[in-house]
Amino acid sequence: MDDDYFSLNAILADNHKLSCTFTLDVPGLGYLEGGTENDIHQHSKIEMPFWLAQTLSLNEFTTFPLPPPYSNRVKSALNASAQSVKLSNLVGGNGWWYRWGRRIADVLDDEPQQELLNMLLRAFTNRLPALQDLSAHHASADHTLPETSTSTGEVFRDGMEGDERELFAIGQDSGRKAKAWYDSSNGRKYVR
Amino acid sequence: MALPKSLQNGLTPDELTFLAEEDTIDIVPLFSMTRIRLLSGIYGPFQPPSAARVPLWLALSLKRKRKCRIVPPEWLNVDHIQALLKDEKENLEGFGMLPRRFIETSKVLLDVAADDLIQPSTLRSLLKDLREVRQAKVRLGLQSEGVMRGSYLQVTNLTPLELSELKPFLVKAMGMMQSLEPKTGEDEEEEEEDDRFDAGYEG
Repeated sequence: MDDDYFSLNAILADNHKLSCTFTLDVPGLGYLEGGTENDIHQHSKIEMPFWLAQTLSLNEFTTFPLPPPYSNRVKSALNASAQSVKLSNLVGGNGWWYRWGRRIADVLDDEPQQELLNMLLRAFTNRLPALQDLSAHHASADHTLPETSTSTGEVFRDGMEGDERELFAIGQDSGRKAKAWYDSSNGRKYVR
Repeated sequence: MALPKSLQNGLTPDELTFLAEEDTIDIVPLFSMTRIRLLSGIYGPFQPPSAARVPLWLALSLKRKRKCRIVPPEWLNVDHIQALLKDEKENLEGFGMLPRRFIETSKVLLDVAADDLIQPSTLRSLLKDLREVRQAKVRLGLQSEGVMRGSYLQVTNLTPLELSELKPFLVKAMGMMQSLEPKTGEDEEEEEEDDRFDAGYEG
């Protein structure tokens, strides 16, 4: 998971909306709120993309509570069964739950930061075996058969977030390549 | 990078097979010829019924033209692979030691020179079993202690071919784990040391 300047995924992950509270009056920026008022007042809540919220929060112009996708409710759901939590529902269909979480963690103080990162890491490691199973299974599966969407694998697949999707595609691809090699008849076709 | 994404992760199975064909193997030629000088060395003389040692690609090429019989390597027989399979099943901790080009060599030999091997169909199914046992271990390994702490996956004795299948997935997964790792106190100490060094430098 790179924070490369040129990484499109990193840019997109920075675009998640974060709900912030202003700690001071800001004249002339009322349009951010979407209303007709000219100024932003102290204590007003505004949804901002993370890239903007980050800078404002680091300078203590705004504060924000931990957004709902990383709340305690989600945390206990992950503790109960990490594989059945639908991360894609939390951050939207094309969200990046891990990336965004890590970006938020960068802004937090030591203790909540540790807590958040631990939650992300634990969720990832607990979901990894299921992810690997699924990608290996899809690489070798017969796609001519109709797929049943009731199996646990398919449910898990619906709940994958951006990086997990990517990982799934990578695993599936290399699995398919390996299978193609095992199935190939190495040069038997040259026999005359 | 100029390489297509599918090739950036390392060698493909086809490339590994190409490399495996540089290894030498014994053949019994069905023709007579004096020594021959190739780029990789001098081979021959070919004098049936005595055996000659040639690179695998040459052996396969001759075999396809029905000009030789390939002498299978000593590890490619039912007894030996059955023993390997048994060890693999009993040893739950790690992977069994295989010759480096085991999978590639056995596959091309089974494909091209099956009639020179003893019980090729049994061999085929044994090799498949062996592959499945090892893959199951990889799967278990992903749930192991080492991965849970985000530090390592035990892959000692996996052959390059098996790694090539696993590598792209693992590299990204490990990268993600590393970036999610909470920052420990050690990093901060290092930074402090750097600061002190900088200060000293200025003064």
